[in-house]
Amino acid sequence: MTPLLSISNVSKSFGDLVALDQINLEIRSGEVVGLVGSNGAGKTTLLRLMAGVYLPTSGKISLPDGQSVDKMRQSLGVVPESTGLYSRLTAWENIRYHSRMHGISDKDAWARTAKFAEHLDMLDSLGRHTKGFSRGMRQKTALLRALAHGPSILLLDEPTAGLDITSARTVRHLVEQLKNEGGTIVYSTHQLSEAQQVCDRIVIVHNGEIRADGSPDALLESTDSTTLEEAYVALTKDTARPRTEEDGKEGRFTGWWRSFFTPKPPQVTMNEVETDE
Amino acid sequence: MSKVAMFRVRAIAKKEVIEFVRDWRTIMAIIVIPLLMFPLLFILFPILLESEAAELDALELSIIVQSNELDSSLEDAINGAGIMFELENLSNLTTLSEPGEDMDRVRNLSVDAVLRIERDNTTWNYAILHLSTSERSNEAWNRLLDALNQWEDEEVERRISDSGLDVNATLDPLRWDGDVGQSDVATSGEQAGMVLSLFIPLVLAIWTYSSALQPSIDMTAGERERGTLEALLCLPCTRLELLLGKWAAVATITGVGVILQIFGLLFAIGYLASSSFIGLPDLSFTAILLLITAILLFAVMIVAIELALAMRSHSVKEAGSILAPMLLLIVFPALFTQVINLDGIESVWFAIPVVNILLALRELLMNRIIPGHIVIWAGTSLLYAALAAYYASRQFGREDIVTSLS
Repeated sequence: MTPLLSISNVSKSFGDLVALDQINLEIRSGEVVGLVGSNGAGKTTLLRLMAGVYLPTSGKISLPDGQSVDKMRQSLGVVPESTGLYSRLTAWENIRYHSRMHGISDKDAWARTAKFAEHLDMLDSLGRHTKGFSRGMRQKTALLRALAHGPSILLLDEPTAGLDITSARTVRHLVEQLKNEGGTIVYSTHQLSEAQQVCDRIVIVHNGEIRADGSPDALLESTDSTTLEEAYVALTKDTARPRTEEDGKEGRFTGWWRSFFTPKPPQVTMNEVETDE
Repeated sequence: MSKVAMFRVRAIAKKEVIEFVRDWRTIMAIIVIPLLMFPLLFILFPILLESEAAELDALELSIIVQSNELDSSLEDAINGAGIMFELENLSNLTTLSEPGEDMDRVRNLSVDAVLRIERDNTTWNYAILHLSTSERSNEAWNRLLDALNQWEDEEVERRISDSGLDVNATLDPLRWDGDVGQSDVATSGEQAGMVLSLFIPLVLAIWTYSSALQPSIDMTAGERERGTLEALLCLPCTRLELLLGKWAAVATITGVGVILQIFGLLFAIGYLASSSFIGLPDLSFTAILLLITAILLFAVMIVAIELALAMRSHSVKEAGSILAPMLLLIVFPALFTQVINLDGIESVWFAIPVVNILLALRELLMNRIIPGHIVIWAGTSLLYAALAAYYASRQFGREDIVTSLS
C-alpha cells in the first residue's frame, strides 16, 4: 500500500539539542498509529514535522505525488496539545475559521460539524463562546474543528490529556468511529493502555529515537513480554531526558540575566539530610 | 497574490477584528478613551478652572496693610478692588521685604498677606509678604498687586497731566493703524494649516504607534502565549498570508482609532474656540493624496515593526516591555520635528526615518508641495516600510514562534 506520509532519516535539532534523530516512519491509509513516549521524548516535534510547522534539519518527508508540505496541510486535521481555541469566538466560529482557511464552504463545514457534534454531545454548545468551556469541551471542539474539512490524515497530540474519564472515553469512541470509516490517524499519547485500545500500530519514541514500531502483539513478541508496559520498560531502559526544547530558544543574555538573580539552592549532602531526620 | 490567498488574508484579518471588537476593555483603551480624552480635557478642564477661579473670588481674605501715611487715593483703590484690610503702623525694618515679626502669622495663615508701603519723597516703596505655597495667600497677593497696579496707572496719568503733557501721546507714542489681522496676507485656510501642522503630525505619529501596540501584541505574542498559534500554523496558509492578515487587522484598528482621535481633537478645539479659532486648512487635492500616502507608508512601517518585535517575544509581558519604551523613538523625533524651521530646510531631513514623514505632514498641511522633498520622503519611507515588512516576514517565518510559555 502506498504510504500517505513517509519520513526518511529525519533529524531535527534545536541548537545543540537533537530532538529527533534519524527517524524513519510511514503512515499508511486507514491506519491508526499511536506515538507513545514520555514527556520530552519527541512526539510533539514529530507531529509538528508531519504538519509542516517544523522543517527537518536533515532527512526527508515525502508525500504522495511529490506534494509540498504546504499543500499537504490542506488535507491535514490537527489537534494540538493546547487545543488552540479563540476564547472570544464561539465554538462554531472557531470551527468555521479553520474550515474557511481550508477553502471549505460554511454549509459543508456545518454539515460535517453537526454530524460529529451530535456524537460528541456538543451540538447545543456550538453557539457558545469557548471562554467558559471545560477542558473536555475544548478538546471536543478542537476535534470538531480538525474534522470539519474532511482531512485525509488526523494528527492528535495527546487528545485525552487532562480529560475526565467520560470525556476521554467519548474522544476514544470518536477515534474508533473514524477508524471504522477508514480514517488515517496519528495519535500521540503517553498512556500505553489507551494506545493499545485505539491504535493498530504503536510507535515507541524515546529520547528522540524510534525504539519500536509495530502492532501491539508484534511488540510483545519482539520484547518477549507479557504486557505492553513490560515491553515499553524493556525498550526505554535508559533515563528519559528532560524537556528542554523551549529552554534552548532562550537568548544567551536572557538566560544569564535570569541566572544572575536566581539564588543557588543550598548545598546539602545526603548525610546531612539523614542527620536532620 | 492568488484569489485563494487573498481570501485567506481577508479571513485572518476579519477574525482578528471580530475578536478585537468583542473585548470591550480593548475598545475602551484604544478607541473610546483617546476619543474622549481631548474633548474632556478641553471642555471640562476650563469648566473646572472657572469653578476654581469663582471659588477663589468668593474667598474672604485676611489682609494687613502696614503704612504710616497711607494715601487716600491708594486706600480707595484697595477698597475699590473689594479688599477688606486692617491698617497697622509700619515698624522699623532694613527693607520692606524682610519678614521680621510678621513671618509667623503669614506662615501659620492667621494673616493671608501683609502689604507694607511707605512714601519716599515723590515715589512709594512697597512689599507684599505672602506664602507662595498657599492658594489663599497667593490670591491675596494677586488682589493687592492688581489694586496697586491700577493705582499706579492712575498716579502716572495724573502726574503726566499735572506736567501739562498729553497722557495718550506720552504713554503711547507708537500705534498700530487699523486691524492687525487684516494686515496678515496669509489666508485663514493657510493659517489653519500652519496651526494644525504644529500638532497633527505629532498626534498622528504617537497615536499610530500607541494604537497599534496592544493589537500587535495580542495577535502575536498573545496568540503564542495562549497556544492558539500552533493550530493556526497547521493550516494551509503561508506565513506571509498570516502576516498580511494580521497586518491588515492591526492597520484597520489603528486607522479607525487615529481618525476618531483626530476628530475628537478637532471637535474639542472647535468647541473651545466657538469654531472661529481654527478653520479648515486650504489643501489641494494633491496635498490630500500625498497626506494619505505619507500616513499609509508610516503605518505600514510602524505596524510591521510592532508585529515583528511582538512576534519575537515569548509572552505578552516580554512584548510589552520591549515595545512600550520604544514609543520614545517616536516621541523624541516628533517633538524635535516641531521646532525645525521649514523655510529653506535641508533636503537631508526628509530622509531620516520618522522625521521624514512628520516633516512631510507639516509641509503638506501648509499646502506646500515641493517635488524634491516628496521624492525623498516617499522614496525613503517606501524603503523603510519595505525593510520593516521584510523584517516582519522573517520573524513570522521563524520556527520557534510555535513554542509558547504556557
